[in-house]
Amino acid sequence: MQSANIIQIENLVKRYQNLVALDHLNLTIQEGEIFGLLGPNGSGKTTAINCLLALLKYDKGTITIFGKNMRPDSYDIKKQIGVVMQNVAVFEQMSVRENIDYFCGLYIRDKARRQQLVEEAIAFTGLEEFTKMRPKKLSGGLLRRLNIACGIVHKPRLIIMDEPTVAVDPQSRNKILEGIVELNRQGSTIIYTSHYMEEVEQICTRIAIIDHGRVLATGTTEELKQMIKTGETITIESIVLDEPLVAGIRKLPHVFDLSYEDQTLKIRLGTARHNLVRILNYLQEQDVVFGRVFSELPTLNDVFLEITGKELRD
Amino acid sequence: MTVYKGFLTITRRNIHLMILYLVIFLTIAVMAQKFTGGKTTDFEQVGLDIAVIDRDGGELAGGLYDYLGQYHTIADLPDDPSVIQDRMFYREVYYIVTIPKDFEDRCLYGDELLPVTKVPGSNSGFYVDQQINTFLNDVRIMVKSGFTLSESIAEVTESSRETTEVTLIDKNGFGGNRPFHAFMYQYMPYILISILCYCMCYIMIAFRNPDVKRRMACSAVSSRSQNLQIILGYITVGLAVYLLVTTMPVLMYGESFTADPNMPYYLLNSFLMTLVALSLSFLIGTLVSRDEVVSAVVNVVSLGMSFLCGVFVDLEILGKSVRTFAQFLPVYWYEVANGLLADNSTLSQLQQTSLYTCFFLQLLFFAAILGVAMVISRIQQKA
Repeated sequence: MQSANIIQIENLVKRYQNLVALDHLNLTIQEGEIFGLLGPNGSGKTTAINCLLALLKYDKGTITIFGKNMRPDSYDIKKQIGVVMQNVAVFEQMSVRENIDYFCGLYIRDKARRQQLVEEAIAFTGLEEFTKMRPKKLSGGLLRRLNIACGIVHKPRLIIMDEPTVAVDPQSRNKILEGIVELNRQGSTIIYTSHYMEEVEQICTRIAIIDHGRVLATGTTEELKQMIKTGETITIESIVLDEPLVAGIRKLPHVFDLSYEDQTLKIRLGTARHNLVRILNYLQEQDVVFGRVFSELPTLNDVFLEITGKELRD
Repeated sequence: MTVYKGFLTITRRNIHLMILYLVIFLTIAVMAQKFTGGKTTDFEQVGLDIAVIDRDGGELAGGLYDYLGQYHTIADLPDDPSVIQDRMFYREVYYIVTIPKDFEDRCLYGDELLPVTKVPGSNSGFYVDQQINTFLNDVRIMVKSGFTLSESIAEVTESSRETTEVTLIDKNGFGGNRPFHAFMYQYMPYILISILCYCMCYIMIAFRNPDVKRRMACSAVSSRSQNLQIILGYITVGLAVYLLVTTMPVLMYGESFTADPNMPYYLLNSFLMTLVALSLSFLIGTLVSRDEVVSAVVNVVSLGMSFLCGVFVDLEILGKSVRTFAQFLPVYWYEVANGLLADNSTLSQLQQTSLYTCFFLQLLFFAAILGVAMVISRIQQKA
């Protein structure tokens, strides 16, 4: 259930000498959301998170969390925030359990309560068999799970996850994503940054596309897809075309972009009925032979491509 | 107190290092004690392996042979230069005296010196020279006084049998010897620096990991509280190590140590050394950021200071230039103080002033090293 704004970022500006990392960034996140921050490397995602957590001083703007101004000494706010950093932040000398207990202890003083929370976090992240192991002995996926366990162990109201699935195998990634949805179901609001669009599309209830330190678009996946011209992408393989034929296809209704490379034709069309039929009829009329045909609805990648003019993983 | 508990947890993980260094320390202390037998200032008469080539065969030559035989072991050597050279080369004998024909006329009544062969650069030969001179002078005087040659030789030989009673002045209550616990305290800087630097460096590296630091900065514990808890951890570990190394001489030497009037000074001196070692560990921990480098740096610092400042080798044996350089290191002043305490049970006014100066200088080193480490740490934080 979505309710009041949990985070409000207004006109946030952060400069590194001449480089503007955040350029009047505005964001509003509501309680109960899984909010995705989507952007390429260097777009300002991590800087925004660091400012949000008061790890970085910013030049201009305001950040309000739980209705209060966020400052480095806002420990009452920090108490309700869980952080899962991009890099695994644990102590090599401590075991899995000791690490989780340590980070829980930074928020919860009561030993009995802490013990219970540690057990829950271990169970939640599936680390039961590895509690006595040192982080060095864990695989990349397990290490990420430990990182998450340390971040969420105190059951925070707001969880900030900065690319928690980087360098994780698909199996562990799915487990992590399922866990994030479960955390949200248990009542936590989640800010999730990633440059993996499938993940963001899969779990986020609302997404902000960010580039050059600015929010370019915000909305649900569907809302974002509706913002762009692409309604359908048709791909035709093993097709041999000459220039007049390509020009002919380009002139068909609703076609607004076309690429032809290595005998593969990719046509982007606006939202309309019978796009595929129209294309196939035209090719038949022109006696063009072709191989497999695909029709795809727009993805976040299309959204990103159209909004920013570049692929997300560029 | 989560940060403090974490600090102690990481310390526990390094406890094997502490045990390793304690074993090394105890081994060194026990071995040093065994080799010296705790007797560093006892008087002991020593003899050499010498040879006497007698070409004269007279009464005086026989008398000199017997006289020297009282002090030294006389090897049987043929009058062959190549054999003599070989024996000397292989150090089977250290001194060869050749008694020429007409020894009595040439050396007793004449001024001729006895031809001798010594190991080059050996100072022990000097004593044999002295003994030969003494024998000839004494016999000469007695003969001139009217005694016969036989009587003179017998009298001189007889009088040389009388040994001199040597009593050492007992300045420290241990019969002039260095007490065993003084040896242990002599080696203590090595163990303190090694253990504290190793442990603290690993802990510092763990807490200074940028990712962990950022993660902890996001937590509900203020950075001030975190720092205070880390300082408390430092104090706890420092005190624990200090108590541990202090317990060892008590357990090993019992009353010999506890009854030493200088015991409070030993405790104070080693406590100041603990402070210095703690500040050193903080400085190294600030400069070193990789686990692999810790071992090399700590070894250079602990062994370097130990060798330069008289931990493993007595200060008296060290060269003047080394001692001058060592004065710029805190361990030197610890060892000077330890030497004063080991050699004197009652300190004169001047010695007390020297002792307090050593204590003060150690405190100064502690403050200076800590100050430098804090400045570096602050610069690193700003960067």
